[in-house]
Amino acid sequence: MGAMQVPADPRLFRLADGAESRPRLLGSHAPESNLYFWPRRLRCPVSRTPVTDVDLCPEGVLYAWTFLFVPRMGSISFGDSGGYGVGQIDLPEGVRVQAPLLGTTDDWQIGSPMGLTTFPVGRDDDGNDLVTFRFEAVR
Amino acid sequence: MMATRLAREVYVIGVGMHRFNNERLAAAAMADVAGMQALEDAGIGFPEVGALYNGYLGGGLTSGVGIAKEFGLTGIPVTHVENASATGSCAFGEAVHAVAGGRVDVAMALGFDDMNRMGGLGRGRGRHMGAEDVMLPAAFFAMWATRRMHDVGTTAETFAAIAAKNWNHARSNPLAQRRADHEVTIDEVLESTMISYPHTSMMACAAGGGAAAAIVATRQVAERLTAGRPLVRVIASQQRSETYTDGHVFLGAVIGPAQMTRDTAGDAYEQAGVGPDDLDLVQVHDAFPVEELVYYELLGICGDGEGDRLVAEGATGLGGRIPFSTDGGLTARGHPGGPTGLAQIHETTLQLRHEAGSRQVARARTGLCHMAGAGSVCVVHILQRTEG
Repeated sequence: MGAMQVPADPRLFRLADGAESRPRLLGSHAPESNLYFWPRRLRCPVSRTPVTDVDLCPEGVLYAWTFLFVPRMGSISFGDSGGYGVGQIDLPEGVRVQAPLLGTTDDWQIGSPMGLTTFPVGRDDDGNDLVTFRFEAVR
Repeated sequence: MMATRLAREVYVIGVGMHRFNNERLAAAAMADVAGMQALEDAGIGFPEVGALYNGYLGGGLTSGVGIAKEFGLTGIPVTHVENASATGSCAFGEAVHAVAGGRVDVAMALGFDDMNRMGGLGRGRGRHMGAEDVMLPAAFFAMWATRRMHDVGTTAETFAAIAAKNWNHARSNPLAQRRADHEVTIDEVLESTMISYPHTSMMACAAGGGAAAAIVATRQVAERLTAGRPLVRVIASQQRSETYTDGHVFLGAVIGPAQMTRDTAGDAYEQAGVGPDDLDLVQVHDAFPVEELVYYELLGICGDGEGDRLVAEGATGLGGRIPFSTDGGLTARGHPGGPTGLAQIHETTLQLRHEAGSRQVARARTGLCHMAGAGSVCVVHILQRTEG
């Protein structure tokens, strides 16, 4: 039996559950303003009214992207990849999410569909596989 | 927000600056040089300063008061201001409002830092590796660039042209960190190391060390000290954080929505009673050239989507209709952090006094300084020459 997967930051996302094919970002919905947010908010920053917890749609559209060749300020190893992609993805709820991208520059075009997935980033003290979220192009 | 006039007239009476550099000099020593220069430029001693606002991101908790002790133990309030890249601009704003509001008649803003000694975004967060960890400024602004290329058709050559312009402006600035020994070309910028597509290393701001200072005072003090010299008045001092926009990004947004610049500039124009057509020169947060390009539009210098044409016409270079980043900007003058916004005040003051040497903008009368800071900060000051 393999190690269990654990979200690196359980405040931001959860793993796919049961029949779900993709993980979910953990957001907020403000009924009064009908606005959605990610990450979760304490209250609606526009109407200052209460919010409820919601899981956001795991698929969206690529708004912008880049490929980062120089990690100067970061502590992430590029390994054999030579860099990594990052993007902004617009979810159907009206939320724009910034996240790392899986794939290569040939995979990303503004306006193309993207889906949420996970990516291994190490192990915790209990031997569980820590994963974080990424977006990938949906074929 | 309603932008009312400053309650009392405020003037820049002295500026000083230590050359920006990548030599890992002691920040305190650089701060002392900038501060003493500003006092000398103003023609006053430190005992005449009623309040000191120190802007720095790095350094220890008490760096600012420690440096103030070298100027003199006068007992004045010494305050640490920190607002990321906009730190120096905010320190200047605090000094301006201390004078405008009647707290003191003379106030000093002093910025010092060394970006090479700071942790910065993305460092040391370890295992999370989420948006905040990987969304470095280079990536964030590169996404502004790729989206603009998609929407407006901007080319990498346009970004390179802006960067080359700023590199070449710095050639005549002895206080700049990057001083090329030749005319920098667009091809040279494009061929430098790719950092974050489409931005290359010569398009990225020069992170380093340095210090800059400005002293502001009431009209009465300014007239006493600057007889026969043009006065430089602060006609607007505005600061904002973000408001909600379509496609709002809460995590990893680095500086917040671009709309902040349009809103803050609008407040500043209203407070100053001038518009973009009245400006003779502009300094902006050109950490990457896409920023300068977008700010042409957000500051109202041209319409939306028309910034590329300004670049093609050379309108924003020295000798052009409205020169931007006349001292080389963050691109080449440098961006140490705390002092960056005060370097803009230093440059604009020299320009409005007509003391900027070979990079002097002809008949410069009104200048705007804009800075954005990580988190969600935007600061705009407008300075204007008046005859003393």
